[in-house]
Amino acid sequence: MKNLEELDRLRENLRQAMKIREQAPEVSVRVSMGTCGIAAGAREIVMSLLEELKEQGLDGVALTQTSCAGLCHYEPLLEVIKGSEKTTYVNIDRDKAREIVRRHLIKGEIVKEWVTPDR
Amino acid sequence: MEELSLHILDIALNSLDAGATRLEIAILEDIPANVLEFKVRDNGHGIAGDLVEQLMDPFYTTKKKKRVGLGIPLLKEAVDRCGGVFRIRASLTVGTTVTARFPWDHLDRAPLGDIAGTLIVLIAGGRSIRLIYRHQYNSETFFFDTRELHSMLGDIPLHTPEVLIWLEDYLKRNIADLKEAGKFEEFGRTG
Repeated sequence: MKNLEELDRLRENLRQAMKIREQAPEVSVRVSMGTCGIAAGAREIVMSLLEELKEQGLDGVALTQTSCAGLCHYEPLLEVIKGSEKTTYVNIDRDKAREIVRRHLIKGEIVKEWVTPDR
Repeated sequence: MEELSLHILDIALNSLDAGATRLEIAILEDIPANVLEFKVRDNGHGIAGDLVEQLMDPFYTTKKKKRVGLGIPLLKEAVDRCGGVFRIRASLTVGTTVTARFPWDHLDRAPLGDIAGTLIVLIAGGRSIRLIYRHQYNSETFFFDTRELHSMLGDIPLHTPEVLIWLEDYLKRNIADLKEAGKFEEFGRTG
């Protein structure tokens, strides 16, 4: 594989950085990725989340996907799960995804304007 | 779907749902032969033979919460619109292979699009899966296997955001280089 020596450097940097970073609490973000979610832009949401998680240095967040939840008109949709608390954000875009990382995952505040009305 | 890579993501996520531990995505672009073909092959729990036909029906779904399953019908429609070939080979013991073949130059063929993004999302979401990607452009080939990455990364998890962002860029560069290298052939044939 070409350019893989870069990966060696990255690995060493990460090893140093991870020692410094505190162990984050168990948090997961699930992006809805049924056919409806994908058509609505779920892939770009995941990339946006990854970029923000990288910039904020959050390694401990589990980023996964769920299938269609029957809320297709609310896509793109994501759930933040912290312990037993689940928050569903609807009609997300790339910027909102980044802000959810900063406000909900880091500061711990739910962004009320973007959650489902029936939450 | 606006990009073939979005169809690939949709189909490959079915493989993750089917409990696959190995997922192979192969893309063939043979411009002189006017072919763009992609293949998604998994070792998941497969599909019973008589159900394969039903998958083409938008109102067939295996999911309890919903009434429609649009992934396969949408892809089949995209293939049919271009006069291509669509095939599902499934077995309960070996897994499932979905193949879609398009005339490369057809006006209604969606672009391949952001295939690197598709691969990254699959790697992020399918943590224990081995993903193999093969992309042939004319006679040039790019090959990628997450197993090689795992061994190079050692104790750093592959789904670390920093690694995935690096990997996205790595894939983008290599796929762009592949097309650049494969281009000479087109000039050779047309000139």
